[in-house]
Amino acid sequence: MNFDKEIFLKRKKYPIFLFLIILTTGFVFVDLVDGDWKSLENSLDNLSVFFYESLWPPNWKVLEARSYPVCDRNWDILCSPAYIGIIETLKIAFVSTGLGFILSLPLATLASRNLNRDSIAIPFRLLLSVMRTLPSLIWAIFFVILIGLGPISGVMAMTFYTIGYLGKLQYETIEGLSKDPLDAAKAMGLTNFEIIMRVVIPESANNLISQLLFMFEYNVRHGSVIGIVGAGGIGYYISTYLKFLQYDKVMALLIVLFLVVVIIDFLSIKARSYFVDDVSFKYPSFFQRILRRK
Amino acid sequence: MSDIVSAVDLKIGYSPSTVLANIDNLQINEGEIISIIGESGIGKTTLLKNIAYLVKPISGKLLVFNSTSYPQRGSVGYIPQKLGLINHETVYFNVLEGAVCNESVFRSITGFHEEKVVDTVKDSITLMDLSHKIDEPIKYLSGGQQRRVAIARTMAQGPKLILADEFLSELDDKTANSVWNIMQEYVKQNNITLIIVEHNIQRALLADRCLKLEKVTDSSSSILVEVDK
Repeated sequence: MNFDKEIFLKRKKYPIFLFLIILTTGFVFVDLVDGDWKSLENSLDNLSVFFYESLWPPNWKVLEARSYPVCDRNWDILCSPAYIGIIETLKIAFVSTGLGFILSLPLATLASRNLNRDSIAIPFRLLLSVMRTLPSLIWAIFFVILIGLGPISGVMAMTFYTIGYLGKLQYETIEGLSKDPLDAAKAMGLTNFEIIMRVVIPESANNLISQLLFMFEYNVRHGSVIGIVGAGGIGYYISTYLKFLQYDKVMALLIVLFLVVVIIDFLSIKARSYFVDDVSFKYPSFFQRILRRK
Repeated sequence: MSDIVSAVDLKIGYSPSTVLANIDNLQINEGEIISIIGESGIGKTTLLKNIAYLVKPISGKLLVFNSTSYPQRGSVGYIPQKLGLINHETVYFNVLEGAVCNESVFRSITGFHEEKVVDTVKDSITLMDLSHKIDEPIKYLSGGQQRRVAIARTMAQGPKLILADEFLSELDDKTANSVWNIMQEYVKQNNITLIIVEHNIQRALLADRCLKLEKVTDSSSSILVEVDK
């Protein structure tokens, strides 16, 4: 059998490419470490000491009622830092996702190039891009300075980030719509607003709902981070315990947060599966019946 | 008979450097059924889009309803190749999209539709024999049924000019002929002008006039000629 070099290189193009990526990553990593390999050698030992001496076992007192204010509810857990924190995080995530969705949809329709001229679409794309560039944590610092400590700053920060993030997902969905329904509606003489209400939103509704659920799930995870700068939620308690070096309580709160995020992830994936088009078989769903979408 | 579409020295395409077709003279009268044939990529769809004001001509004069400005709301019905239906929505919702052209934008958006508009929608659906599918989403209908929904949407709109782009493609002969007959009967009864892009020559020759876009030697663009029947 003759060895054809050209065919060999063509067939081996992707493995060679992959090998080059790994090699480059290795070189850059070595360059970053800059000979200081000792710091890496100790890291695992440090982690195990920190884990067993400070983090483990978790301190489940975070599930008990706080000493002040006095608990007036039937169960102690309802007055616990973990419960209060997680509920506040969920509330912040819920309100900011809802507000973000309501505000991002008009902006996304204005940023879509298949609905508007570039002179209109590009400034709105830039606006969404600016809102997305700053992470929610930076927005939170900004609003804590403007409004003060508390969940309202959290809601504002998460809303701003949601607008930027969700807006981008939305205008990409709108731009991915088939041209034909839009052309038919334009030729009929429908106004731009009518086209958005009668064609764009109904045709992309499944994706928009799916993105909304994804954003809620995302905001719950990030809602815990913004609390660290005083914007409310479970992050506030995490940051307080960190300040007082109560790492075992931090660990307990992280476990609670992890469980809540897993549950929300599961519910969100389940709910989103009813709104994704490319599912060959779907069970008749509760959501479909409520929203009358088949 | 008045001119519905007229064009003189019209150049169509997507950029001045790549003109798809040169149309020296085109006159289409009220109530005429015109079919346009030609190879793929020769500019048939672009010509329809120019008439529908979806694409601007590169140069030349194009008059629709004796005017160069955008036609009156609802006067042009356009059925794209893939029909342009809203797949997730029901037959009723899709047909209503055509009918809202006959009421104010406020009513169309708020959903407070006039009674006559709702009646038109129901009548069009009944006429297309889709009453039993009225609440069915488009994506669950067969190709033939989807085409009937597209016709019902246009009927409910009540346009003076219908532009249909290969909307019978992908259908078996029996279904295509039945849909074509329904369309032909409807436009003749209501004195509507129909311009249809068609691949099937036999069906195209059933129109009042058949126009062909064909390549000219020594030129990258095509010209429009009338086919002798």
